[in-house]
Amino acid sequence: MKATMLRAVIALAIIAVAVIISRAVVGSRVVAISGASVATIRIAEHRQPRIDALNKSIPTIEKQLGVIIEVVEYPAPEKDYLSKLLTELGAGNAPDLFTATFDPDVPDMVSAGYLAPITAEVKAWDGYDQLFDVAKKLSTSADGQIYALDSMLAVEQIYFRRDLLDKAGISTAQPTSWKDLLDRAREIKAKTGKYGLLLPAGIGWGGGAFSEGFALFVPGSKTPQLANDDGTLNLNGQGVREIFGLYKSLIDEDLMPIEPLLGPEPWAIPKYTMFPAGDLMATTCGTWCYIYDWGKDSKNPVPNVTKNVGTWAVPGRDGGSSVTVSGENIWAANAKSAHLDLAKKVLLALSSVQATVAYAQLLGNVPARKDAADNKDFQTLTELVPVLKNVENGTFLKTAPGFSVVSEGVARATDALLRKQTDAAGAQAILVKYAKDLLGNNVVK
Amino acid sequence: MSMPYETRVAWQNRMLLVPALVLLVGFILIPAGAAIYISFTNDALSGFAAAHPQFVGLKNYVRLFSDDGFWNSLVVTFFFVFGSSIVGQFVLGLASALALSRPIAFKPVFNAAILLPNAAPEVVAGFIWISMLAGGRYSTVSRIVGLFGIPPQNWLQSVPLLMIIVVNTWRGIAFAMILMTSGLSAVPAEVYEAACMDGATPRQVFWRITLPLLRPTILLYMLVSTAGTIAIFGLIYTLTRGGPGGATEIIGIYIYNQSFTAYQLGYGSAVAVIMLGVSVAIGAIYVRILKVQV
Repeated sequence: MKATMLRAVIALAIIAVAVIISRAVVGSRVVAISGASVATIRIAEHRQPRIDALNKSIPTIEKQLGVIIEVVEYPAPEKDYLSKLLTELGAGNAPDLFTATFDPDVPDMVSAGYLAPITAEVKAWDGYDQLFDVAKKLSTSADGQIYALDSMLAVEQIYFRRDLLDKAGISTAQPTSWKDLLDRAREIKAKTGKYGLLLPAGIGWGGGAFSEGFALFVPGSKTPQLANDDGTLNLNGQGVREIFGLYKSLIDEDLMPIEPLLGPEPWAIPKYTMFPAGDLMATTCGTWCYIYDWGKDSKNPVPNVTKNVGTWAVPGRDGGSSVTVSGENIWAANAKSAHLDLAKKVLLALSSVQATVAYAQLLGNVPARKDAADNKDFQTLTELVPVLKNVENGTFLKTAPGFSVVSEGVARATDALLRKQTDAAGAQAILVKYAKDLLGNNVVK
Repeated sequence: MSMPYETRVAWQNRMLLVPALVLLVGFILIPAGAAIYISFTNDALSGFAAAHPQFVGLKNYVRLFSDDGFWNSLVVTFFFVFGSSIVGQFVLGLASALALSRPIAFKPVFNAAILLPNAAPEVVAGFIWISMLAGGRYSTVSRIVGLFGIPPQNWLQSVPLLMIIVVNTWRGIAFAMILMTSGLSAVPAEVYEAACMDGATPRQVFWRITLPLLRPTILLYMLVSTAGTIAIFGLIYTLTRGGPGGATEIIGIYIYNQSFTAYQLGYGSAVAVIMLGVSVAIGAIYVRILKVQV
């Protein structure tokens, strides 16, 4: 009798353990509260300010949708975040919701089958009409579907130390061409001995080498778009080579700092130390620089930042200028989510005015919604209010499957330039070879 | 009919191996087999190939042999292993073992000082050394060498490979010292006494008695240390991530960068398979020199 009972207890224990393990593996997370089942939606987020911003919105969303939200903290650097996320997406155990780090990452995540289509939900959403057209275009894939919602926008251009240039008697007028921009950087070097212009570059900078540097010069080049409607990529164009030529001039003439860009976290020294200290006079950056990088509450403030740091639109090769708008907080739902419908609802809630303003306050990007301008909290962000008004004037690059390869290829090509191992044509050859190796000869034009 | 006693014991002994065998198959052989299979595909972490990986034959291997980055990582790995494991750790470990085999003052303190670096996890050790080496004129090392008139430097930028060799040497002396100490204790005292009576100088004793009798221990150390140093990842990833410009990109970092930074699992696996072959070859050479069956 005792032996039978013992066996029964052991069997029950084994079943209990098996159930616990299977639930953990399958990821079906439903918590019973007061007799009702409440699903848990897991959201991947990284970097403390982003997590803080997300946590601000969670109580409202939980109450509104009757859901439990669990924030899964990921590694801070964008590249490490994306590597971990993609690994988990590939393994089928990623959280229900996450953000893509840059627009170029999205088409390849779609091709991999990681992202659930959200077209119907987004178009039926009451916030859809409030989205800026540029956000709608950025969010729409080549097949006309929406897989990731650009809930915020980064407006990227050239930020310069107006106070120090005025003091040195250097013009702060908008540069009219690439040559004019280079001449300005040369003048800065000659008159102050400081670095004249930084363009993010190198493998260590990850996707930023493309999205925060190279991509800004594409619209004004002789190859104004890299992606064609037929899925091919314009990488052999004269414009691409000439952008690498711009990098080459800055590097060879010692107009931009090189050493920090070859080390780990290459943005840290130029952006957080050299620019605030006045050792670097100009750099490409986004709206986040006014708040997260050099704002009054940042770790490296530039006093009176909006007055002392001015902005130039990125000049075109031979004239004209452009301000690049790119997606931020690009929310997407895991195609394998156990609670996909609910995840999509949470995704839309994370694109509300309240949620996006919370991110704007801590990170400095602008909500992708027109009605954010009326929000009292947003109106206190005086650095961003004028940016939001002009966001529709920005330009952007079309993306296509294979764009993450282009992004990595640009990082490799600019890395070779930083190490002075090649010239502009050689850098272009590195990009083209890398893209052909991974995407096939037919994809690259 | 019951089994004979010997047969039953033999089966019982085999059954005792089953748990280890299951772990070996599950966590080493199957993943290794999967890596070899993936190396013949274009599998990736993102893009179309992630959803539909295709068999590409030897394409990854062909590409690998024309990849400057791969050859650079092999050269860097050679210098790193030779500098830190074979020269640095071994020489200092042997010297420490010899010194501490004698009755000296504060022996436990020296012992602890040598053993402590090995107690720090790789990443923690990496961060400790970043605080020592990074920051140009503000770094601890720059301030110290400045006392001797040496100009400040950003050590991880100006001499990165030398720095990771130094850091890995610092971290690995303890292991070498422990092995050499055990080897020294196995040398019979009578041999030294006889040499002493024959009038051998300390130098002759070292070169003609100590070193030859330590040979099996040294080769064992070389085998274990070489394989371990080739596989190092966390320490260098924390210190330099393989930079600047690939100057410290040892093969483990290169595999990571290809697989998880460039998202090319197939290509990264091909590099890993080649390195597996290299490691096995090195191990075979050592075993052959040792002339022992492993």
